Amino acid sequence: MDTPTVTLRVPPLADHVALLRTVVSGLAARRDYTLEQVDDLRMAVEEAAVLLLRNGQGSPLELNATVEPEELCVELSTDIAGPDAVVDPTSFSWMILEALTDDLSTTVQGRRASLKLVKHRQPPTTSEGQG
Amino acid sequence: MKTSYTRDDTKDLFAQLRDTGDPEIRATLAHLHLPLVEYLAKRFRDRGEPLDDLIQVGSVGLLKAIDRFDLGRGVEFSTYATPTIVGELKRYFRDKGWAIRVPRRLQELSLRLNKVVASLTQQLGRSPTVAEIAKHAGVSEEDVLEALESGQAYSTTSLDAPSGSEDDDSPMRLDRIGEDDIALDNLEYFASLAPLIAELPERERTILFLRFFRGMTQSRIADHVGISQMHVSRLLTRILEFLRRGMDNGDASF
Repeated sequence: MDTPTVTLRVPPLADHVALLRTVVSGLAARRDYTLEQVDDLRMAVEEAAVLLLRNGQGSPLELNATVEPEELCVELSTDIAGPDAVVDPTSFSWMILEALTDDLSTTVQGRRASLKLVKHRQPPTTSEGQG
Repeated sequence: MKTSYTRDDTKDLFAQLRDTGDPEIRATLAHLHLPLVEYLAKRFRDRGEPLDDLIQVGSVGLLKAIDRFDLGRGVEFSTYATPTIVGELKRYFRDKGWAIRVPRRLQELSLRLNKVVASLTQQLGRSPTVAEIAKHAGVSEEDVLEALESGQAYSTTSLDAPSGSEDDDSPMRLDRIGEDDIALDNLEYFASLAPLIAELPERERTILFLRFFRGMTQSRIADHVGISQMHVSRLLTRILEFLRRGMDNGDASF
């Protein structure tokens, strides 16, 4: 199967974060993610989007979601003012994002900052999440 | 000392509690009057919230009543406690009142899904997928997603204004559930966040720690705290919103 990519670009306003959230929830739900995983993704997208909006410069917020057979990769990005990272790996935000995702990374290239969130699909037979 | 009590012992127990402050007596009193909470909670049952959640809420009222009851007033404890418990239940509904923009159809669906999710989780031993929920509820996956999103649209009143009197003795009581040093160490580490977290009601604080510091799943937290998974989900969303807003005001980052 191909790895479909979904791209969405929205104005850098908190109002539009809900749209990003909905798109990602929809993608995950259709890939048979469990309700809790969908919920994790929804919260992670919100947190990531808020971080980027705080550091943003008023250019659009972009979402790229790649649907792999066993994982969903969501990358959020925007232009920022300085070369500093948008989130410190010792911060509470980072901790939240780590708890909500299976894999997490952040990059700043030039003025482009991005946050990448990866969620593995839980096999429906698995009875327990991470402890 | 007696080992079993009935409600007729209420006065004696209160006298003992005032003398000794023994938490076990407090617990005994709470246990004896749980039927009152259940009775009152049932009066709110038709509003679509799981009865277990309502009993949980009512129990908070009961504990407040126990802590405030004054034997000298000469009223029965149940007479005294009833308005406190009902008040707690009413406040719960007021605080989590639906935002106006959620259509009634979705409100009803969301409340119905709450039950479907609970029974599927029980049945499957894990969180269900959206497809499974849709099939069970006899609606489309789109409807499920829409209802879940709208389920988050509760007003955030209670977290906006957690008053100090809500839970009086509320330094981190995580010891009660065995969450010890680790969580507290971490909290100190996020010093800028500590005052905000301290403003959260105890249950919200517990949920926050279990989910983000302990990595516990929502279902396990739900079991632990005694509310539904969807309720945990809503609370988590609101907690994060509350913290974000607080940090924005404080002009700092998490």
